[in-house]
Formats: sequence, C-alpha cells, structure tokens
Amino acid sequence: MKDLKFFEIIKQNKILEKELKAPLYNITIISNIVINQIKDVIEYKFRTDGVNAKVRIGEYDNIMQDSIKYSNSNLLLVFWEMSNFNEGIYYNIESYDKKKLVEFIEAKKVEIDLLINNLVKSPLVLFNKFDSTPFTNSNIGYSNFEFVMNELNFHLENNITKNIKLINIKSIYNNISLSNSIDIRTYYTSKILYTVQFLKDYTNLIAPFIMSANGKAKKALIFDCDNTLWKGVLGEDGFDKIEMSINSKNGIYFNQVQKLAMNLSKKGVIIGLCSKNNESDVQNVIENHADFKIKNQSILIKKVNWLDKVTNLQNISKELNIGLDSIVFIDDSSFEVNHVKSQLPQVEVIQVPEKLSEYPALMNKVSNLFYNLSNTKEDTLRNSMYSDNLKRKSHQKKYKNIDAYLASLGLVVEVSKDDQQNISRISQMTQKTNQFNLTTKRYTENDVKQFLESSEHIVYSFSVSDKFGSNGITALAIINIEDKIAIIDTFLMSCRIIGRNIEFSIMNFIISELRLLKIETLRSSYIESTKNIQVKRFYDDCSFQNILVSKSQSDYKLKIIDYKPTEINYIKLLNNGN
Amino acid sequence: METKIKNVMASIFDVELDQINDTTTQGDLENWDSMGHMNLVVALEEEFELVFDEEEIIEMMNFKLICLIVSEKLD
Repeated sequence: MKDLKFFEIIKQNKILEKELKAPLYNITIISNIVINQIKDVIEYKFRTDGVNAKVRIGEYDNIMQDSIKYSNSNLLLVFWEMSNFNEGIYYNIESYDKKKLVEFIEAKKVEIDLLINNLVKSPLVLFNKFDSTPFTNSNIGYSNFEFVMNELNFHLENNITKNIKLINIKSIYNNISLSNSIDIRTYYTSKILYTVQFLKDYTNLIAPFIMSANGKAKKALIFDCDNTLWKGVLGEDGFDKIEMSINSKNGIYFNQVQKLAMNLSKKGVIIGLCSKNNESDVQNVIENHADFKIKNQSILIKKVNWLDKVTNLQNISKELNIGLDSIVFIDDSSFEVNHVKSQLPQVEVIQVPEKLSEYPALMNKVSNLFYNLSNTKEDTLRNSMYSDNLKRKSHQKKYKNIDAYLASLGLVVEVSKDDQQNISRISQMTQKTNQFNLTTKRYTENDVKQFLESSEHIVYSFSVSDKFGSNGITALAIINIEDKIAIIDTFLMSCRIIGRNIEFSIMNFIISELRLLKIETLRSSYIESTKNIQVKRFYDDCSFQNILVSKSQSDYKLKIIDYKPTEINYIKLLNNGN
Repeated sequence: METKIKNVMASIFDVELDQINDTTTQGDLENWDSMGHMNLVVALEEEFELVFDEEEIIEMMNFKLICLIVSEKLD
C-alpha cells in the first residue's frame, strides 16, 4: 500500500469491494475534523488482508452523539483533535490564566468521562491520544496547550475501559516526519488535518488490533538458522566461528533477535526452526553454545533437515494444527524467501535485511503481527500445552486403535455455566478459533458480558484435561433460549483438543441440560467459512435433521425427545453447576 | 498530461474515462462535491508531485482550468 497512490487505492478498493465475499467488519470514524480520505485507505488495506472492512465516517464534530449512535459498530476510531476543541484554541489558550485553564481542563475531563461511558458497550474502540504537536512543535519553554494535552492523556489513561485502546499518533510523526503527516493548508481551508501518507501509516499502526479482532493474528514464528539466528554458516564456519554474542560486531544483532524471540515465546507465540542443516549440529548449538539465548524447550518445533522449506513449513502447519496463514517465516536467502512466497503465499515471509543493524528493529515490527487483544493466562500456558500435545501424539503411536488410545488418556471435561471469571478467554476463543467453529461468530468481551447477564443466553465453557496436563478452557457453546426452542449460536473447540470425540460428549451434556429446562426443539446452523470445512457434517453426525441447505449455510433441527446420545465412556464430564 | 488528469478524475469520481471531456465541470459529476474536490487535489498533487496554493485549489472548477493550472505549475 505504501507505494500506491491515493487514486489507485480508491480504484483498487472499488474492485476489492465487489470481489471480496467475507462478512462485513463495520468500522465507524467519529471525529471533530474532516477525515473522509481514511475510508478508502482503511478499506483497501484490510480487504487485501481478507478482512472485509466497511468504513462509515460519522458526522463532522459530532463525537458525543455519534458515540451513542454507532456504538454497535465492530470498531470505532476516535479522532478527537485538540486543535479543533474550538476555533483557534491553540493560540487562544496561551492567554488563559490559571483559573480559566483549570476550568477548561476540568470541563474536558467531564466530556471524556461521558464519552467513555457512551462507548462502554462498543466491542472495540481505538482512541487516539490527545496530541498538540502540530501546533506546539516549534515552541520552546512552557505551553498551556501542551499542559492540557498531558493532563487529558493522563486522565484518559486512568479512566478508559478495557474495550478502549489508546493509539499514539506521535509514533507516526516519528516515522514519516511531522511535515509529511500534517497539511496545515487543508486544515485552514477545510479542517482536513492529516495527509494521505499519514493515513496510510496510521492504518498500518492499528492493523494488529483489527487482525486480532478478526481471528487473524499470527501464531508461530519460524526461523531459518544460518545468518538468521546467528552470523555465519554452521556447516562451514563451525560451532566456534558462528557469531551471536552481545560482544561481537556482527553477533549483537542476532543476540537481540534471539531475545526478542524469547519474549514472544513467553507471550504464547510458538517459536520454531526450519533450516537446511544437520540436525545434530543445530541441536548442539541450541544445547551447548554459550551465546545461544533461546531455550531448547521454547523451540516447539524443529525441522532441521535437507528437505525443501515449503514441505517443511507445510509439515509444521500440520503438526501444530495451525493454518499456514498463522505462520511467519524468517530467512536470509533470497532464493528461499522467494520460493516460499511463491509456493505458500499464505505464509508471511520476512527476509533478514542486508544491513544487519536494521534487523532487530524489523523484528520488533514483525512482533506486532502476533498482537493479541486479550492476552490471557492460556497464552503463556499455551506453549506448554502445545508441547504436551506433541507428547500426546508420540504416545498415540503405541495403541492399536484410536478408542483404546483415547481411553488411556483419562479425559476429563469440566463444565462452567455463565462463568464471569473467564470473560476474556471466552471472547478470545470466539475470535481465534477457526477450524472447529460451526458459526464463526466473533464476540468481544462486552458481547460476552451481555450474554452472561441475559436470561435468554446460556454460555457453557469447557475445560479439558487428561493425564498429560490441562488444556484450560478450550471449548465453548452459546445457547439462545426462546421459550421452548433453543438455538446453538456458537459451538467451537480449540484445535488443541480436536480428535478426541469431546464434541460428542459436550453435545450429550448440552441436550441433557436442555431437557432439564423443558426445551422441546433445538435448532442449529453450520455457516461455512474458508477454514471450517471439517465440521460441515457435525450436526449430521449428531443426528440432527437437516432442514435447509444453501450455498454457505445448512440449518438443522432436533426434537430433544428424539436425541440418541453418542456412547462415549472414556470421557468424564464434571459439572461445576455454577 | 491531460490523459493522466482524466485518469485521476475518473478514479476519484468513480466514472468512465469518456465521461470526462474539455467541458466537464463541477456540477456535471455526482461525486465532485467539496470532499471529492479535496480528494482530487490530493490525488493530483501525488500524481504530478506538486503542491497547489489555496487560491489554485478554489480555481480548479472544471477540467480545462485543472489542465491549465497543472501545466503552469509544471513549467
């Protein structure tokens, strides 16, 4: 997008709008400046990334009313510019005395509180921090306007609710310079403050939030080894000659990249290797090289062999049970980078920059791709859970049939009903689960909270454990109750627990619950997405009656009285009964 | 240069190329409102790598005048 001109973006966006058949992601901009040009920039950027963004621009300078009117948008962007609090404020305010200044700030704080309150039910709000830079940049010494900015940002930081994320506009000025960001000429003539270049950069800045909200955050970071994790070629230069020490001229960059990888691993990102090398040589470096900073147990998958990288990356995707589009791959060789790019366009491929000094900063940027809206306990646990899973897979080989194997696992499913403690995990699962997800409806924490509070919805969350360890909350069902009819709004399971027939056990449980509630009919739907083909026949398998089939959706009905539970005696179901 | 301008205008105002000719003026195209006009200004500035004065922005009321102002700027 960086190199596309504005009119080309408009043109391409029109084409994408017609072609893209994904569900709409509604974004509303509420603002006290003119910012209409952001519409095409945002829509184009996210449509290229598979998110069918639809941008609406609120009324000019109508923030309070718009925040109520559009609170059900999937995303609200707040451009509340200090410079247009009122006409010429940036000069007028410098003549305020202390009393008047304090009054002004207090009045604005009340407005901020009101706005936050209006936005409380919005799924996600990106709120630009107040910024005086365009009008105070050349000041030396004290400025009232800057003082106001600091006071209001402080107030904002201390009062925002969890659904609001603050965006630091200053980072864009740092990136592309103030004069490339602001067009003071159009600000005076038509209250357009920002240039198209700024809007492009802004869109990139907020991208991780939007990708995460749409279940498109990256999950795995896979490294090549030679000249990617260390300087030099292990097979030629040898164990003692490769560099990755903080004390070496070329090694320091790799040291920092390794540390960055460790930090990501702690946040739940999967770290892996995909390298043409002798496996034992690399393993020796990992375990015995004093300068190697990534712990052996943090590297969850290693494809160190002489197969081509495309095959290896495909195997990584299969073994970890994650989509290719969840993978970021880093390599120094143009040949490998281009090969993977052309064969696996879903994989995000990064090439180590020629100027090594740019490598750590590039990786810092890359780490944003893993940004997660709700960083919950499960994320840090997830890595240990993935490696438990790999243990399970090797365990699997010893048994003759899958049932015997499953029976040996000692599976326990714990049910919680309308569990207030796990709102963020529940929301996160709706946002991140793609494969075993019957309807792929994405819900924010606020949505979940409303389900929990409403008497027309029941939210069941399921925590799964076995003799190897706990997987945490990994399955979810949201049921709508309408008199004698129940509807399965959401039924999903994390890919970590697929293949254990847990879904059938859960269905048995749900139906026994509905019986107690005297429900007579259960309705459900399968809504097709690009990733959930494997559950297309799930309701058929549960002996639901298929009542309507259209191109991308099948609707089902089940008379509760007719349900025949699937016999599974190796899963123990514990009902916490709360 | 005229073809380039036509191209930009067609994209910005979402019309076919042949709908823009020497007599095309602000009232002729539905999307050529005040916002559309600012989009046109930004797009022309990018395309020809120049910066218009406020006066010129106001004067660019029809295709002919746009061509004139751009060509004067480029000289």
